[in-house]
Amino acid sequence: MLEAVLVKKLRDYTLDLSLRAAPGKITVLMGTNGSGKSTTLNIIAGLLAPDTASITLNGECLYKTDDGTDLPVEDRRIGYVLQNPAVFPHMTVYDNVAFGLRARRLPREEIAAHTADWLGRMHITDLANVKAGRLSGGQKQRVALARALAIKPSLLMLDEPFTALDTDSIRTVKGLTRRFVQDMHIPCILVTHRVADSEEIGDRACVICNGKMEWEGIPGEMPEICSVCHCR
Amino acid sequence: MKGTLTPSRLALISIVLGLLMIAALFAGCTQSTTTTPAATATPTAAATAVPTPVATTAPAVPTTVATTATPAPTYTPSQSNIVAFTAASLSGASKTIGPSFTAAYPGTTVSFNLDGTQNLKAQVENGAYADVFISASNAYTNTLNSEGYFVPNTVKTLTTNYIIVILPASNPANIQTLADLAKPGIKIAMEAKNVPAGTATLAVLNNLANDTYSQNWMNQTLANVVTYETSEPAVATKVSLGEVDAGFVYQSTATAAPTGTYQSITIPKKDNYLQTYTIGILKESKNQAQAGWFEQYMLSSAGQNILTQYGFTTPK
Amino acid sequence: MIPQRFRPKNYRQSLTYLVAGILIVAVTLYLALPILALFLRITPDEFFSALHDPEVTSALWLSLLTTVITLIIVIVIGTPFAYFHSRFSYPGKMVVDTLIDLPLVLPPAVAGVALLMLYGRVGLLGRYANMFGISIAFTTLAVIMAQIFVASPFYLRQAKSLFEQLDPAYEQTARTLGASSLRTMAQVTLPMTAGGLVSGAVMTFGRALGEFGATIMFAGNLPGVTQTMPLAVYVGMESDLSIGLTLSILLVIISFAIMIVVRLIQKREAGHA
Repeated sequence: MLEAVLVKKLRDYTLDLSLRAAPGKITVLMGTNGSGKSTTLNIIAGLLAPDTASITLNGECLYKTDDGTDLPVEDRRIGYVLQNPAVFPHMTVYDNVAFGLRARRLPREEIAAHTADWLGRMHITDLANVKAGRLSGGQKQRVALARALAIKPSLLMLDEPFTALDTDSIRTVKGLTRRFVQDMHIPCILVTHRVADSEEIGDRACVICNGKMEWEGIPGEMPEICSVCHCR
Repeated sequence: MKGTLTPSRLALISIVLGLLMIAALFAGCTQSTTTTPAATATPTAAATAVPTPVATTAPAVPTTVATTATPAPTYTPSQSNIVAFTAASLSGASKTIGPSFTAAYPGTTVSFNLDGTQNLKAQVENGAYADVFISASNAYTNTLNSEGYFVPNTVKTLTTNYIIVILPASNPANIQTLADLAKPGIKIAMEAKNVPAGTATLAVLNNLANDTYSQNWMNQTLANVVTYETSEPAVATKVSLGEVDAGFVYQSTATAAPTGTYQSITIPKKDNYLQTYTIGILKESKNQAQAGWFEQYMLSSAGQNILTQYGFTTPK
Repeated sequence: MIPQRFRPKNYRQSLTYLVAGILIVAVTLYLALPILALFLRITPDEFFSALHDPEVTSALWLSLLTTVITLIIVIVIGTPFAYFHSRFSYPGKMVVDTLIDLPLVLPPAVAGVALLMLYGRVGLLGRYANMFGISIAFTTLAVIMAQIFVASPFYLRQAKSLFEQLDPAYEQTARTLGASSLRTMAQVTLPMTAGGLVSGAVMTFGRALGEFGATIMFAGNLPGVTQTMPLAVYVGMESDLSIGLTLSILLVIISFAIMIVVRLIQKREAGHA
């Protein structure tokens, strides 16, 4: 379970919201461009410092302004696929997926076993020795997902994972995401601007406008974004 | 935000550009011939006043000037400029010679290309244009002559110069005699061996080693050399800056410098090397007449006086 | 019936090709012929015998030694510097940015004078070093310092630009996966910028190798200590043409090798992306 309350003054508005994500469920974050969705993810991941915040994950405090807790990025055990999936183009698919495991200095056999597992689960075993820079968009997305999940994160965050993909790949990635979020019983926050995505895989949906949470509820019942955000 | 030209950024760019322009101006003064700060001497102007033209005819009377091998010393007013390739050690003197010559021969100007004689020779051999060639080395003059660059019979001895040791005004290494030059740890500047002053210095060192000091002294002294500069004024600069403890230069450099720039140690005449400067007119010159006037002027008492002022020794 | 060749469209095209051809040939010849002349004015015999001349070998050795040291220093100090400079904004960043570019436009002789004024025996800082018996001017160290001053901008600008252009997502992702800053730098940042960094390093090497004006002013000219190849060419051109030509040819060969290396790296980079 993720519980996050955060405040950060940005250039055009102040980000001020509280967010909950239940394990095994996908929480979809929606909103207009620049409304603060990516910023929220970055703060939770520890890549950006908030003004004030309280972030707990499975009871463990990641960040608390009051007592000065600020767990470093490397230690937060969050699987985060950014808008640019950032597969390391100079490494093979295998090395990409194994990256986080190697960073944690796990024993060689464990790394080999885990990596092989995830390559299989994402159906990319045959790409294991391909340089990641040569992959298609859909393949890269699966590699990024495998890489993020291989480290056994307590939380998975995806920022616009479907924008560069074709329909088939979107379906595949959605299926895989849903399946593993449920199997691993971890919360997942997914940022998207496409309403169809929230209806297809969202268990819960939130609408953010100018840094504030304007609506929360079941995806099917989500109103039109611009009616909530009063945008043109 | 990256490319916007905010006022503060504009101000910064202007400041940097201003500094660059100043730097460029400064660099223009420190080109191949480094001007010795000390050598900007202003010898008493009175001595250079009113040099009389050597010409025997009155300026107003135009006379056809025969463009023969030996140009006639007949002065005809005209607008022209002659190019004088001149050994760098005459840098200081050239500042006075130029205006004085023009005063004597109105309408004729002279522009000096000052550089180590070795470089000037190379330039001429590779086709550079010059009217007059003033060389600091007999050897180079003879080479050029044998290669046929000079107009026959125009190569004359211009002046002479001796070698002297100069020290920074503060004499940081406390050098009192020539023997001290071999002291371990002192820094000496010298000209490269292909620069006339360099050849002269080496000859001087040999003479001193044979006559008074020892071969060991010469070896130690040479071991103390930290730089072989490519022109004589460059050595003087290093000494005047105090960056070296001693330097071998021409007597003219020491004499012409403002008092207090250097201390110096003279070298006995018998061991010294008499550097002979020659002047000659180049065959390629298109201003043979004017070149002839300049040569005459330099050989006349007027020109010789200027040279003496700048520390050169009149040839016997 | 107008023959095909002279139809307006083809005529204009032929003219364009002609003009283009002339321009290309002209530029190529202008650049290539002087280099060719270097090779043609010396016989192979003279060249190979000059290679044994102690002036040539000492200048060659000194040049390579100083340039390699310069390169190592620039890379080891310059890379982290460029990284921090690109990733953080700090007061005075704009000034530092401008200063990095300055040696590119500053005449080398001016750089030499400036170094002498500061580090010379009576220089603003040099005088203190002198009190401890440490000389800076007229030493091999001075050669290296002069080279670093004029050549480092080539590397710093390149590195800075590369780091700025690298999508932060790569480093951020690596951090979230548990990699420390050091591991991220070593396994993600540097490999992804390596091609460009090497190009910058190679340019730096070339510039340092050819450095003359600042060297002769600040380090002086002493065979075996401060007489690098460019200085030896200048001094040698008068005393012994074959030495001057031999050194020039060596410098041309090294420069060509540098350029080929850069081209190959750039080709590999293009294949990568």
